Amino acid sequence: MELIELIETLNTAHGPSGDEGGVRAVMEHLAKPYADEMTADTLGNLIVRKKGSGPKVMFAAHMDSIGFIVTHIEKEGFLRVGRLGGVSPKEVIYTPVRFKNGLRGVVVPEEKADFGKLKLDECFLDIGARSEEEAKKLVRVGDTAVYDTAVFINGGGSQVFSPYLDNRISCAILLSVLERLPAHCPNDLYFVFTVQEEVGLRGSRTAAFGVDPDYGVAVDVTDVDDTPGSEKSGTTQLGKGAAIKVMDSSVICHPAVVAKLEELAREENIPVQRDILRAGGTDAGAIHITRSGVRTGGISVPCRYIHTPAEAVDLTDALACADLALAFAQAELEEC
Amino acid sequence: MDHQEVLGRLCALAGPGGFEGTVAREAARLLEPLVDRVQVDRMGSVVGLRSCGKESAPKLLLDAHLDEIGFLVTGHEEGFLRIAPLGGVDPRMLPDRELTILTQPPMLGVVACLPPHIQTREDMDKSQPMKEMVVDVGLTQEEAQRLVPIGTPAVYRTGCAPLGEDLLCGKALDDRACFAILLDTLERLAGEELDVDLYVLGSTQEETHSTGAITAAFGVMPDLCVAVDVTHGDSPDAPKDKTFKLGGGPVIGVGPNCTRWMSKRLERKAKELDMDCQIEVMAGHSGTNGWDLQISREGVATAVLSLPLRYMHTPVETASRADMTDCARLLAQFIRDIGKEVPSYA
Amino acid sequence: MLELVKELCALNGVSGAEEEVRDFIRAKAAPYADSIRTDALGNLIVYKKGKKPTGNKVLLAAHMDEVGVIVTKITDEGFLKFDFVGGVDRRVAIGKPVVLGEKKVPGIIGLKAIHLVSREEEKKVPKTDSLYIDIGAKDKEAAEQLVELGTYGAFVGTPEEFGTGLLKAKAIDDRVGCAVMLELLKEDLPLDVTFAFTAQEEVGTRGAFGAAFSVTPEVALVLETTTAADLPGVEDHRKVCAPGKGPVISYMDGGTIYDRELFETLRDLAEDNHIPWQTKEYIAGGNDARTIQRSKKGIRVAAMSAAVRYLHAPASVGSTADFADMLRLTRLFLDRMAESC
Repeated sequence: MELIELIETLNTAHGPSGDEGGVRAVMEHLAKPYADEMTADTLGNLIVRKKGSGPKVMFAAHMDSIGFIVTHIEKEGFLRVGRLGGVSPKEVIYTPVRFKNGLRGVVVPEEKADFGKLKLDECFLDIGARSEEEAKKLVRVGDTAVYDTAVFINGGGSQVFSPYLDNRISCAILLSVLERLPAHCPNDLYFVFTVQEEVGLRGSRTAAFGVDPDYGVAVDVTDVDDTPGSEKSGTTQLGKGAAIKVMDSSVICHPAVVAKLEELAREENIPVQRDILRAGGTDAGAIHITRSGVRTGGISVPCRYIHTPAEAVDLTDALACADLALAFAQAELEEC
Repeated sequence: MDHQEVLGRLCALAGPGGFEGTVAREAARLLEPLVDRVQVDRMGSVVGLRSCGKESAPKLLLDAHLDEIGFLVTGHEEGFLRIAPLGGVDPRMLPDRELTILTQPPMLGVVACLPPHIQTREDMDKSQPMKEMVVDVGLTQEEAQRLVPIGTPAVYRTGCAPLGEDLLCGKALDDRACFAILLDTLERLAGEELDVDLYVLGSTQEETHSTGAITAAFGVMPDLCVAVDVTHGDSPDAPKDKTFKLGGGPVIGVGPNCTRWMSKRLERKAKELDMDCQIEVMAGHSGTNGWDLQISREGVATAVLSLPLRYMHTPVETASRADMTDCARLLAQFIRDIGKEVPSYA
Repeated sequence: MLELVKELCALNGVSGAEEEVRDFIRAKAAPYADSIRTDALGNLIVYKKGKKPTGNKVLLAAHMDEVGVIVTKITDEGFLKFDFVGGVDRRVAIGKPVVLGEKKVPGIIGLKAIHLVSREEEKKVPKTDSLYIDIGAKDKEAAEQLVELGTYGAFVGTPEEFGTGLLKAKAIDDRVGCAVMLELLKEDLPLDVTFAFTAQEEVGTRGAFGAAFSVTPEVALVLETTTAADLPGVEDHRKVCAPGKGPVISYMDGGTIYDRELFETLRDLAEDNHIPWQTKEYIAGGNDARTIQRSKKGIRVAAMSAAVRYLHAPASVGSTADFADMLRLTRLFLDRMAESC
């Protein structure tokens, strides 16, 4: 399947942090043909194994997205919500959202709120219900909602705009790696589609404990500094290739893994750049301190407007990431 | 005099301004054995008289106020009470503070405090103003309205207990610690011949309008008076030049509110007793009943004697028992043979 | 159980110095335990067999520690500088009595009189490092006879019933959870249960790390308290929950997204058995569940709490009916776990 098709399919699924059932079902369906073993663990992580005799390599891409959870239903039928992951109120006002059951609504800020310091509990969801009673027929406290915005491509067919490229693009990347792997792999590969990354790298922590890998590679999006007025908080740019992670706020990547990825990029002629992210963590943060430690790195997809309803990546970068991950999966790795 | 024992009882009673009844009764009971007669006047103040038996003896009034700062219920909201201060309440003492609401029988109230999730970092650095506070009494709106009518008074829910070896800590040490000093003074003078008629006043409503002192003085018509009250004690965060050391001895007031020959006499007597004392210079209002006593009728010669007290107007006011004892010793010495010194005004 | 709650609340056990509470609980639990141990973090882990031999599958957890203060310095004048242990809003600590160390030295958190405060100063609350504790010591030497650096202090707050069915006490968080567990220990259980009385929850759910790692259960129910902000002037959607509306069954808080199935099980058990229940209508707070959930390969967690006003303050307020209902609902939960394990 083409990356763009995968993104579209995954985006119709419902999978905010803690409520990933919908997206897991889709992932299971897509991964099944390529899996030697497939399980879901206690927290809901989806673990797809391609057996091999070499060192254990765990690729991780979180399948949860940020979203909203209903906390209170007002007498007039409006909903109050809490955040699932890093939802920034200023970035979501007037955004359409949808619930698992198809119900749709809009995030609205209170008129009297100070927009400069907007807090989520100064916003509400309008689902068009006129009373608490009517609202209760449609939702319950605890129900989750996700962005309901469009997917489209521009930039000569290479720049895709979509909600939840964080981190569905990485799930798509790993699925495509699974598709392309040869029948026999030197390494014992675990493709883990983690849960609850957005609320604190929770799923990857327990998944890594269970898998107990020798190497870990987190595939996620990363910040860029190529837009007007950018505060240079990222080091990557769209269109310059797969980003090899050196460091983010949760991890300093193992130099051996960084070096290996660079070596593979040179050998396979994959365009790469280096990723240092100061404000943001990834599953690598949880994986590298598992048990006695795991040699961990990251392959990142440069992404604009992360966590907004309209993120943007360059598909050529995503393809480069897939190539790089594929190379690493088959690489000769030192035993640990 | 066991200050700890007396204050343990006195401070545990509730007597906010205007509602000093129970405290006045106990004060009267304590005063009775030490004087010839005790009365409670129209404004609720306790007045005891110990006559010296000499004709036309000057009248000396000793005053310490019985009221404490407190609260009044001003409204009900969702079963919680709204309150206003009675006297100089420090609002920073209030979040999560236990109060006794003076219903019959009295009930417990807790001043509500807001949890962190509805406050920002900046909010938590600010003190909450009193008008935003409510008191939790665990009742429904209907019950609250019925059981706690508007105007019900309330006080801090605590008594008085020792702190360390020498200090006592509790509510209403301002000014019951000084009333205890007056009792102690009388004990020390028991059986001695005096040359003044001694009036001991436990006054009401000092914290609000000095009502008790004003009205009692008018009735007694003293020639001289000593207002015995508290002054600021030392603490790490308080300016050294405005506070007095606990254990540093009685504080003698000096300034226009303090008739000079009386301040000088207090200083002299302290020296006679080889007692450490401290001087508080007050350029105007002494902040005590002395201010109003001085201008009663035709005027009264006035002295202000103070007990150093930390954390004034909080439920954890703290003073030294050694200071209390020294204040009583000084006052007794001051009173002995004072009659001769009273000037005749011509 | 109310008397037990009051007894437990009156004990002092600030995070890192839970001895008094742990010793009390251990003595009460021992006669009913099949195994009982204390670990390196100070947790008390009690195991009791039940009708169905399910081993370590089910864990109940409640923490023994409470918030308080710790002495950081003794000044030359004999005052104590301190820091707060656990999350305390310093505005509720000002002018409050504390009791320090094993000698139970009384002290008060002092603040200079309002008369000595400028208009500007009045609006602000002094920072923790300008606060101090007065123990009535003449000087440093005298103070050093009574306390030392690192001495813990607990708030003072006699447990007292008031209003209609309410209890005021310090440390309702989380002695009520401990009380529920102690009551259950006395009963015949439908399955094997491990009871973890954890230490140091208030300073970062610390004890839970070791407890969960050593027990490795499949399902854990955390018995806790949670903040109720049902006060006038607080908008409805920020009130979170309220005492008297039943045990709080959470679907999510600031630390954990709870296992949805367990949440629904508890909710259904409450409804089917006519036990009032409520949920948290605001995402805030956290408890030992966040650590237990992410231990080893992951553990399914649920939380049931008493709604308590003025948490982390010397005078907190909860509903005695809620406490009793917590016990009833936990019993039903254990029955259901026995059926499904």
